[in-house]
Amino acid sequence: MKNTILCVKWGDKYDRTYVEKLKEQVETNCSIPVNFYCLTDNPTESYDVQLPTNWDQYYLKDRNFFWAYRKCYMFNLCDDKKVFPKIKGSRFLFLDLDVIIHQELKYFFELPMDKPYIVRGWWNDIRNVKKNFAKYKSTVLNSSVIRWDRGQLKPIWNQINNRAAVIFFTYPSLDNYLNHHWYNIWREDEGFFRGFPKGDIYSWYKGNIFPDDMELNKQRLDHKICLFNNSSDNEGNNDDEIKELW
Amino acid sequence: MVNYIRYTSEVATDWKQTAADVKKDYPHCFRRTLDCSTSSQLQSKLWVITSLLNLSFDIESPRVALVGGWYANYIVPLLIDELNASLVHNFEIDEDAKDISYKYNKRYKELGKYQCYIKDVMMKTVEEDYDIVINTSCEHMFPMTGFYEQSPKIDAVYVLQSTDDEQYVDHINCVGSPEELAEQAHIIDILYSGTKVLNNGMNRFMVIGYPA
Repeated sequence: MKNTILCVKWGDKYDRTYVEKLKEQVETNCSIPVNFYCLTDNPTESYDVQLPTNWDQYYLKDRNFFWAYRKCYMFNLCDDKKVFPKIKGSRFLFLDLDVIIHQELKYFFELPMDKPYIVRGWWNDIRNVKKNFAKYKSTVLNSSVIRWDRGQLKPIWNQINNRAAVIFFTYPSLDNYLNHHWYNIWREDEGFFRGFPKGDIYSWYKGNIFPDDMELNKQRLDHKICLFNNSSDNEGNNDDEIKELW
Repeated sequence: MVNYIRYTSEVATDWKQTAADVKKDYPHCFRRTLDCSTSSQLQSKLWVITSLLNLSFDIESPRVALVGGWYANYIVPLLIDELNASLVHNFEIDEDAKDISYKYNKRYKELGKYQCYIKDVMMKTVEEDYDIVINTSCEHMFPMTGFYEQSPKIDAVYVLQSTDDEQYVDHINCVGSPEELAEQAHIIDILYSGTKVLNNGMNRFMVIGYPA
């Protein structure tokens, strides 16, 4: 099968229920055949894949709390058969564990792939994003959903692997790093990534499209995916809200 | 000692137009143009120029690189008018900062003496060589060792400033003293090292010298 859906589970922030629920949502909302894998530090299921650990040495405990760098190992998926040999497929869709899928996922595998896709948080005020760019705040990107073809994200993996010490020190989150180096907030058509279009993905905690559709804690069933990720102190502490929507 | 910027009619023209353009086209940057214009900002840049002049370099018209020079509203006129810099290149990551720095320094840009490049110098190589590399915002970025790794061919004297003021989230790399700044940046041949308390109460540390 060409199409593959990936998730990452590390540590105990999200328990195994989240992986099972995501897999169940995928099976319910995808009409085409897909492979499903979970990259994890603790493989127990047949679909689990062992996460590498070679970047752990650069993790700064005091400041990298939100650095979801383990997600970036999957960017290394390329034609080299030694890289994640278990993972099949050439078209990848990554999903965070805390998402709610509303619509058919086939859509994501039919996108034109001259560029990879990432969530462009349309709920952000772009003026605020620009104002805070050099302060490493207010990123416009959200890596909860990423779509790419095999090998397409290898340049990102290369850069992280080559400059891990600088990157982990400088950027408070993966999304912030991607926003600085792989997107262009001044000329959004020119970035390495393309943002998923308005109307595809919204945020439970931050809204949908600035400034017109910003109601929080609201389901938008005509959209494809709802994100619960918010990269803040209380992330993962609102289990009850997402579980009510499962 | 340099105590002031030469406020010529050309400076007045550029700065007045900058204020007007920011209000119209970059309103989200207005607050930051106030922040870059404080007496403390001027103090720290006058300190750079005074210290460099006191060192009596042989270089008559130095080529200067600014690392993260932001709007460069004070440092560029001081370098060109007081230190006789032949050119100043500002390496920034913020495209709004590039645009606004060109407005503040329009007169120098038109003479080919000032250029701003969008380049993260901790991640990418600076190809040209310079006589002086100035980073007055070390607290905002990875230690200067990251710069040397990327651009090992630059043979320059380094002017570095930082602070111990940790109250801002973007102060990701504060140090406790000029000695710590020199150690972190691997400056071994130290020509100047000092501390100044700025008008805003912030401790500012400066080291001038050559890295290992």
